Amino acid sequence: MYQSLLTRRYLTHRIMPLLAALAVALSTAMVATTWSVMGGFLQILLDSGRTFVGDVRIFRPSRGFAHYDELIARLEADPMVDRACAIIETFGVVSLVGDETRAVRVIGVEPTSYDAVTGYFDTLYWHPIDLPNRADRLGEDPRLRPLVPDNPDLARRLELTWEQIEQNGREVMRMDRKILRRVPAIVPGIEVHGHVNRRQPGGWYLPYAHVPNPQRVDDWFLVPVHGEVTLRVLPLDEDGRALEMASRILPVANEFRTGNYEFDSNMVIVRRDMLQEMLHMDEAERIVEGSSSGIVVDPDTGEERFVEPETVVDPARANAVLVSGAAGVEVNALRARVEEIYEAFSREFGQPAARVQTWEQINAGFIGAVRKEIALVLVLFSFISLTAVFLVLAIFWSMVNEKTKDIGILRSLGASRAGIAWLWVRYGLSIGLVGSLLGGLLSVLIVRNINPIHEWLGRALGITVWDPKVYYFSEIPSRIDPSATAIVLIGGVLAAGVGALIPALRAAHLDPVRALRHE
Amino acid sequence: MSETILEARQVHKTYRLGRVDVPVLRGASLRVERGEWVAVLGASGSGKSTLLHLLGGLDRPDRGRGSILFEGRDLAHMGGHELDAYRARSVGFVFQAYHLLPELSVLENVLLGAMVRHGRVGFARRRSALRARAERLLDLMGLGHRLRHRPVELSGGERQRTAIARAMINEPTVLLADEPTGNLDEQTGGAILDAIAALRDAGEGRQTIVMVTHAREVARRADRQVRLRLGEVVEEDVPSPA
Repeated sequence: MYQSLLTRRYLTHRIMPLLAALAVALSTAMVATTWSVMGGFLQILLDSGRTFVGDVRIFRPSRGFAHYDELIARLEADPMVDRACAIIETFGVVSLVGDETRAVRVIGVEPTSYDAVTGYFDTLYWHPIDLPNRADRLGEDPRLRPLVPDNPDLARRLELTWEQIEQNGREVMRMDRKILRRVPAIVPGIEVHGHVNRRQPGGWYLPYAHVPNPQRVDDWFLVPVHGEVTLRVLPLDEDGRALEMASRILPVANEFRTGNYEFDSNMVIVRRDMLQEMLHMDEAERIVEGSSSGIVVDPDTGEERFVEPETVVDPARANAVLVSGAAGVEVNALRARVEEIYEAFSREFGQPAARVQTWEQINAGFIGAVRKEIALVLVLFSFISLTAVFLVLAIFWSMVNEKTKDIGILRSLGASRAGIAWLWVRYGLSIGLVGSLLGGLLSVLIVRNINPIHEWLGRALGITVWDPKVYYFSEIPSRIDPSATAIVLIGGVLAAGVGALIPALRAAHLDPVRALRHE
Repeated sequence: MSETILEARQVHKTYRLGRVDVPVLRGASLRVERGEWVAVLGASGSGKSTLLHLLGGLDRPDRGRGSILFEGRDLAHMGGHELDAYRARSVGFVFQAYHLLPELSVLENVLLGAMVRHGRVGFARRRSALRARAERLLDLMGLGHRLRHRPVELSGGERQRTAIARAMINEPTVLLADEPTGNLDEQTGGAILDAIAALRDAGEGRQTIVMVTHAREVARRADRQVRLRLGEVVEEDVPSPA
C-alpha cells in the first residue's frame, strides 16, 4: 500500500524520475518507430514480390508443358483456387531506346488472366492521375497533363492520351503508326529504361526531354509513345538445344512499376501468343512420317512417288502456371492442393513433373535477406536502447542514495526488505510504464506523420533521409504495427524494471540504522 | 503488580570505524515496566541512541553478547519478518530529526505506519477507522488544521508532533523516543513533552515510554531516570517525581 502511495509521490515530486521516463520514452519510440517503418518496408517488398507471382507457381523451365488450359480449368474448379493463368518465363536480350542492350526476364502473358491472378493492370505506370503525389509539390508529374493539350481530336486518333496508353498496357498492344494497325507490343519495367525515365526525388518519373523546352509535354521522349524495343529470345528444341535466335521489333505499349527494383529493372512483359511463336512453343503441326513435299524416293528402285505425310498437332505450351488462392486459404495448404491437382493432370496428359512453389519460396532469397536486415537493425537499436536500462539504473542508484533516509524511516516503521525492494522495482516499472506509453504515443505520432516530417526536414534543413532514388519507394511506410509496438512497450516497462532491480536490492539491504543516520 | 515489558540484558554493541572496533555498549542492562516512562540520560556518543535502536529491533547486539527481551521473548530469536512485525506493531519510534517523508502530507505521514503494518488489503479494510484515528491523534497534537500540509510547511515542533502521531498510529506497546526535543527550543520542547504526556494518559492503560535525552530537565518528566556511563546503565540517584 505504502509502495503505491510513495511511487505516485516520487513520480510527481521529482525531476529525475521524469528524466528516466523520458529516456525510456525516447528509447521505446525509437525502437517502435524503426520496427514499424522497417516492417512496413518489408511488407512493401513482400507485396511487390507477390505482385507478379500470385500465391503459388507451377513451373517447368524451358520446354514447359502442354494442355495448360485443361490444367487451369481443373485448378479453377477447385474451391481453394481463385484464379489461374498460364505464362511463359524465359530470358532474352533487349535493345532499348538509346541503343542500350541488356539481358532481361521475359514474361509472356495473356493480359486479362494474368491481371486476374497478379493484379498486373494496377502496376501500369503511365495512366492519367488527378492529383500529384505528396512529394510532387509543384505538380510536375507529366501524367497530370494531357499529352497533346492543343488538339484532343488528333490525340485520340493517334492514341496519344493517357487513357489509351493505359489501355495499350492492358492489352500489351500498340498502334503501329506506319501501318495504322494495332500490333503486339512490349511492356518493360519502368527502370528498364532508367536512362530515359528519370526518377524524381518524389518518386515519380520525368521522361527524357529531347528538345530544349522540357516544360512542353509533347517535347518529351515518352517511351510508351515513341519507344521501340528489339527483343531477342532463344528457342530450344525438345532436347534443350538452342535453335536459331528469334528477334522482333516491338513498340512499347506502357511500362509497369511494382515497387520491386528487381522486377522493374530486369523484366519485360509481352503477349504470350507472340512469345510462344518466337520460342516455337505455339500449336504446330509436326510430320512424323514422310516429308513436307510428299515426295518419297524408293531406296531400292530410286523411283520418286507421292505419299501423303503423316502429321500430328503439338499443342501450345507454357512453362508456368500462376495460381491465386481463394479468400482465406493458407498459402502452404494451397500449394499442397495445387501439387495434387498437377500430379493428377500430369499423369493423365503425360506431362513432365514440375516445381510447385509458394510466392515466399520463390522469393525466399530476397525476403530472407530483408528479414535478416530488419532483425539486425532491430538488434542494433535494442542494444542502443539498453542505454535506457543503464540510465534508469544510474538514476535509481542516485535516487536510492538520496532516499536512503526514507528507507531507514520505512524500516523503522516495520517495512520488510522485500517491501522496500518492491517499492523501488514498482517505481521502476511505473517509470517504464509512463515512459513506454509516452514513447508509444510518440512513435504513433512519428510513424503516422513520417512523410510530412521527412518533407519538412527536406525543406528546412535540406536533409533527405529516405531518398526514393535509393530506396525506390516514393513514400516512407507509415503503417503502425500494433503487435510490434506492444512488444516494444512491454519491453520498455520490463527494461525499466530491470534497471531498477539492482538499486532496489541495494535499498532492501541497507542497514536501517545507517540509513537513518545518512546525511 | 509491575510487569517487565522490555529488557536489555548485558548488551554489548561494537561499531567498526575503518579498522578500529569502537565498543559503545559494554554490558548495558535495563528493565522497563509496563506503563513506565524511563528516561535514559547520557552524554553525546554514550550509546543512548544505540540502546534505543537495539530495544526497537532496528539493530542487534554483538553476537552472543547480551539479549533484548520483549514480553520475555528474545529479539535475537526472531526472524526478519518477525522483527519487521515487532517494529510495526509493538514499538513506535520518534526521532530527534523527525524523519518525516517530505513528499507526503501530514496525514499521509501518520498513516504511513498503518499502511506498513496492515498491508494493502488490511489497510483498505480499515481505511476509515485508521484515518479517523490519525485525525484524532493529530487533533490531540494540535495539528487538526494541518492535515494536508507538507512537512516543509510546518515548524519544528509541529513536525515532531506529527512524528509522535505517526509513532502512535499503530497503538504500540512501547514508544521509543530518541532526543525528541533535541532540535527544539525550550518552550517547544516543553510542549512536545506535554504532548507525549497527554498521549501517555490518553489510552486505556498508561503508555510505556523509553526516552533518551542528554538534558536532565527533559529527563525529569519521566518516571525514572537512568544514565549510560562507560557503556553501562546506571540508575540515577535522584528519582523523578511521578
